[in-house]
Amino acid sequence: MAPGKTIKAKIKKTLPVTGPQAPTVSELMHWYCMNTNTHGCRRIVVSRGRLRRFIWILLTLSAVGLILWQCAELVMSYYTASVSVTVQFQKLPFPAVTICNINPYKYSAMKEHLSELDKETKNALETLYGFSEGKSKVRRDADDWNSTESKFLERIPLLKFKDLYKKTATEIPSGNKRKIETNVFHQGSSMVNTGDPQDVVGFQLVSSVPTSDCAVYTFSSGVNAIQEWYKLHYMNIMAQIPLETKVNMGYSAEDLLLTCFFDGISCDARNFTPFHHPLYGNCYTFNSGENGKVLTTSTGGSEYGLQVVLYVEEADYNPFLVTSTGAKIIVHDQHEYPFIEDIGTEIETATATSIGMHFTRSHKLSKPYSDCTETGTDIPVANLYNKSYSLQICLHSCFQRAMVDTCGCAQYAQPLPPGAEYCNYKKYPNWMYCYYKLHEKFVKEQLGCQQICKEACSFNEWTLTTSLAQWPSSVSEVSSHQGLLSLSLPRTDLANLVVFYKDLNERFISENPANNIVILLSNFGGQLGLWMSCSVVCVIEIIEVFFIDSFFIVTRRRWQKAKRWWNDRKAAPTQEPPQGNAPAREGHDNLACTDEDLPTFNTALGLPVPHENHMLRTPPPNYNTLQLDAAFTDPLPDTLEGRSH
Amino acid sequence: MNFKRYFTRVLHRLQKGPGYTYKELLVWYCDNTNTHGPKRIIKEGPKKKVIWFFLTLLFASLVFWQWGILIDTYLSYSVSSSLSIGFKTMKFPAVTVCNASPYKYSKVRHLLKELDALTEAALERILQSKHGNAISAPPLNSSETVSQRLDLKLWNQIPLVLIDESDPDYPVIIDLFETDQSGSGTQPAVKVCSLPDPTCIYWNFTSAAQAVTEWYILQSTSILSQVPLQERMKMGYQPEDMILACLFGAEPCSYRNFTQIYHPDHGNCYIFNWGMDEEALISSNPGAEFGLKLILDISQQDYIPYLTSTAGARLMLHEQKSFPFLKDQGIYAMSGTETSIGVLVDELERMGYPYSDCTMNGSDVPVKNLYNEYNTSYSIQACLRSCFQAQMFENCGCGHYLFPLPEGVNYCNSEDDPDWAYCYSSLRSSIRHRQFCIDSCKETCNDTQYKMTISMADWPSEASEVKHRAYRARIESELILVSDRNGIIKLNIYFQEYNYRTISESAATTIVWLLSSLGGQFGFWMGGSVLCLIEFGEIIIDFLWITIIKIISWCKGLKQKRARAHWWRLTPILGFNMRTPTSPPEMKFLPLEHSHQSQAPHPPTTTHCVLTHCLSVTRTAMQRPVKKHRRLRCAWPPDPCHSLCTMLCSLGKLQGIKRPQR
Repeated sequence: MAPGKTIKAKIKKTLPVTGPQAPTVSELMHWYCMNTNTHGCRRIVVSRGRLRRFIWILLTLSAVGLILWQCAELVMSYYTASVSVTVQFQKLPFPAVTICNINPYKYSAMKEHLSELDKETKNALETLYGFSEGKSKVRRDADDWNSTESKFLERIPLLKFKDLYKKTATEIPSGNKRKIETNVFHQGSSMVNTGDPQDVVGFQLVSSVPTSDCAVYTFSSGVNAIQEWYKLHYMNIMAQIPLETKVNMGYSAEDLLLTCFFDGISCDARNFTPFHHPLYGNCYTFNSGENGKVLTTSTGGSEYGLQVVLYVEEADYNPFLVTSTGAKIIVHDQHEYPFIEDIGTEIETATATSIGMHFTRSHKLSKPYSDCTETGTDIPVANLYNKSYSLQICLHSCFQRAMVDTCGCAQYAQPLPPGAEYCNYKKYPNWMYCYYKLHEKFVKEQLGCQQICKEACSFNEWTLTTSLAQWPSSVSEVSSHQGLLSLSLPRTDLANLVVFYKDLNERFISENPANNIVILLSNFGGQLGLWMSCSVVCVIEIIEVFFIDSFFIVTRRRWQKAKRWWNDRKAAPTQEPPQGNAPAREGHDNLACTDEDLPTFNTALGLPVPHENHMLRTPPPNYNTLQLDAAFTDPLPDTLEGRSH
Repeated sequence: MNFKRYFTRVLHRLQKGPGYTYKELLVWYCDNTNTHGPKRIIKEGPKKKVIWFFLTLLFASLVFWQWGILIDTYLSYSVSSSLSIGFKTMKFPAVTVCNASPYKYSKVRHLLKELDALTEAALERILQSKHGNAISAPPLNSSETVSQRLDLKLWNQIPLVLIDESDPDYPVIIDLFETDQSGSGTQPAVKVCSLPDPTCIYWNFTSAAQAVTEWYILQSTSILSQVPLQERMKMGYQPEDMILACLFGAEPCSYRNFTQIYHPDHGNCYIFNWGMDEEALISSNPGAEFGLKLILDISQQDYIPYLTSTAGARLMLHEQKSFPFLKDQGIYAMSGTETSIGVLVDELERMGYPYSDCTMNGSDVPVKNLYNEYNTSYSIQACLRSCFQAQMFENCGCGHYLFPLPEGVNYCNSEDDPDWAYCYSSLRSSIRHRQFCIDSCKETCNDTQYKMTISMADWPSEASEVKHRAYRARIESELILVSDRNGIIKLNIYFQEYNYRTISESAATTIVWLLSSLGGQFGFWMGGSVLCLIEFGEIIIDFLWITIIKIISWCKGLKQKRARAHWWRLTPILGFNMRTPTSPPEMKFLPLEHSHQSQAPHPPTTTHCVLTHCLSVTRTAMQRPVKKHRRLRCAWPPDPCHSLCTMLCSLGKLQGIKRPQR
């Protein structure tokens, strides 16, 4: 009895000052409910009648549930963004306009490099279609096409399939039969289908290094096949030519741009920055911002935009590489790389093309709101272009890296990574096979590039409205004179282009965080207050009562129990068992008994409960009888434990 | 009466005193407030008390900080946008069609005869000088003939020159007709001079053709601006010539459904569905079948040879009752083609001030809208042009031909204002003036753009009957041959499957939002509400009340002190002798009664303290019966005693000192 008493005394002494507010858990709960700031709990305690109390318990619990649910929703929706659109009317920066001729290099300059390839292509076309000159103009009749040396066709044989499933093919132009055992990739295009659909043309790529593995790529149209085949060889040849020579072979700015007019003021070739594109040769960028100065427009309308007359020398086009005539332009930001081959707009000759622009600026929030990147520095792909990051740049760089890793050399259409060189089959005889395999993987998203690359968070976009008109008009005197002026150029070699702002309204679409911490907290507060009139203070109260105080009480009880058990064990050999058993079973007995050992709420508050009476009212023999009854009727764990003592 | 009652009540309250102290008030507040923190401060033990005090303080400051943020957010008037896309029955846009050439050459030929001859000659000269070393005739001869043949009056106003920049420091300027050499490094330029004092600017070009075109436009503008408007309209393309067929939905329409306006750039323009006189037409179905179909004849043969080199129709979609600014937003339709235009109406509805800086109807813009004469609504383009015209009038004294005129101003022409071209070109290149206009004009709050998807096909087809016979919508509706394929255009304008995309703004932070957020914050940290604020305000009022009362009583005490001192000095012993000569403690009430002040218990003031204490001190010090007046005299005014007493009082020992007993 000694430890219980001392503890009781101690609790009584210290109760209002340091320890928990009540001696037992249930009384703590009662105290909490009576004194808490939260509504609802008090009702549970105060209500009379079981039904009413039950309802209040239910209501309180459901309110707690609602709070938890709503707050969880609030937290989940924390990272949402709201979109705002602002329109500003102001002086706008004029975008960079890159203009290329569709034909990359002058054919007259390229001839020496391409003559053999052209000869073979010609031959192949002849065998396939049975005509010799076709629509070709006078320009390429110089050489004899009868030379039979065909190193290009040997390297990549062109095949004609009578039936895809029989796997027999005829070589072009030799006509030898050949059995195909390898996989056949059919590029399902049926644009210029010749004859029956069974009649397909393809080429065979042989990889010699690991095993002599072959892949045959077939096209439904012979023209397509030959064009692809030609392109492969063309890239090979171009890869071996140094950049300077290529620049010289392309069109100069003076060649391409006849007149130029910007914002009502005349401009000329000096306002254009040359830029060499691997597939389009020499391109010229207007307003590239190279010298740090970006032109602005302060008046909308076609008069104040960029007006150029382009001269595309159709007679000097490569007959096999390009099939269309005109120029390609792209409107882009000064910091962006112009992906002419992907997103260019084609300009027709003998027409006036007027392109009206609307400027839209967009900005997305980066992580954690959306998965985009601000600068591209967090993407594990080295930017091969010296321009600012874009998704396109990332994908191209990623593919080029994979190309260098797998095939050992770099693809011609993209910039060179440091230390690599362009593929050509003198050095890398089987790069084409490798390239085709890799490209297929890339398209099927097996290289992981699409997963690594993220979109850029902010981008400027110019929406273009393109319309065409006939130009020059049939009676126009100036243009006919102009034609005379520029060395009597035919109409079909000229293109008129006007790029202008339709209006100076800039639309800025930006994402803003819909929530911030202040709003989140105030939403929390709203929820807590609405359902239970609770606040952070209540939360602290709950922590205090349910965690700290309860923990104290429980540990104290455990400690007390353990201590008593220890005392009992020590006392067991000397004292008689019944006396030792009695206090161990107090929880099982009526309240009156427990009151002796553990201080209750009443005792703690010093309410007039006569202690002495309790002591007297509980005679020890009761325990024994109870214990005996219990032992016979109902083997409760407590009693079992008691008996074991 | 009410006031009087009120004041008496206040007086009573003042006399009665607050009834409690600051501490009592605070404790009462903490115990009874609905705010969550303070109660804990009172109820807990000393250690927790401190913790709770700081917690409450922390939460209160958090609440105020975040309230500040919220109010700041509210005052930034941010907006949230909502986007809706779909199809609904909408007003069909107004469609303006013009010919690319403003006039029929056959009608204006007589006016431009001299100019054309000049141009012809100039072009020949340029041609010779360009690559004419071998082929050119002797230049002197030709220039003579040129001067003989031509009337050089027009030429001399704005001549075309060649600038020889072979020596970059000293460019040589040669009149085109006086040159006798064919320089390779020459650049064509237009010379524009101001007349009274001949300063000239040269407007140079890379291409001669361009120079000639610009020069021609300048010259023809000044010639044509002298022709009255009615005549000019007659020179242009007439509606019955231009609009061959028209079909809206399933209903046929004709050129009579078009409103004619005169557009300075494009001559006669025709607007369909402008909505000026009658209700705007609506279209309730997507697709070409339910849109507008037009067949236009642009008769390319009758174009002015030097003025427009582009052939086609210019068209524009715009809102009802707005002016079409074709140069800015118009598109071309190519002759010999069928142009299909799918329309998506892109609307932006914004809230006005203070959410964004835009104008609802242009009434708050400091620029007079000159396009009001067309009865059209405000638009930013109209504002910019009006602004430019106003500046033009200010600087050059005449109005530019391309824009409407303000009251009492004439269009510029070379005869009346010989230096207008100089003035105009300097104004046009002045960035300061442009910036001024940009700053003074505001965009409209409701911005509608028509997004067009344009596709083209050859029309009429090779096999088509119409190829050589275009429709001419005559009254007898007979088919006759009008023009070849190059002169006719077919247009289809229709709504796309989704015909509107509306971005509308709404206030992101309303007063309701602000209140609920404020409440949320207060509730979250302290479980408080507006009532708590009122409670707090009440407490503050009580505080003030207590303070006021204390100050008043202190003042009263001070007054008493003075009065007593005065009284004692005057009648030192008299009062005591009269009333209770042997009871020193009662003395203190004497002056009070004397001053009729109150029956209320007097608060323990400093005077009281001093008095009692000094009495006791003197009593204990002397320990012998002394004469009362002498004792008092000693106790009350002398300085050393007084200071000691105040010190003791302030040390709070007052309670400990017993009053001297009799």
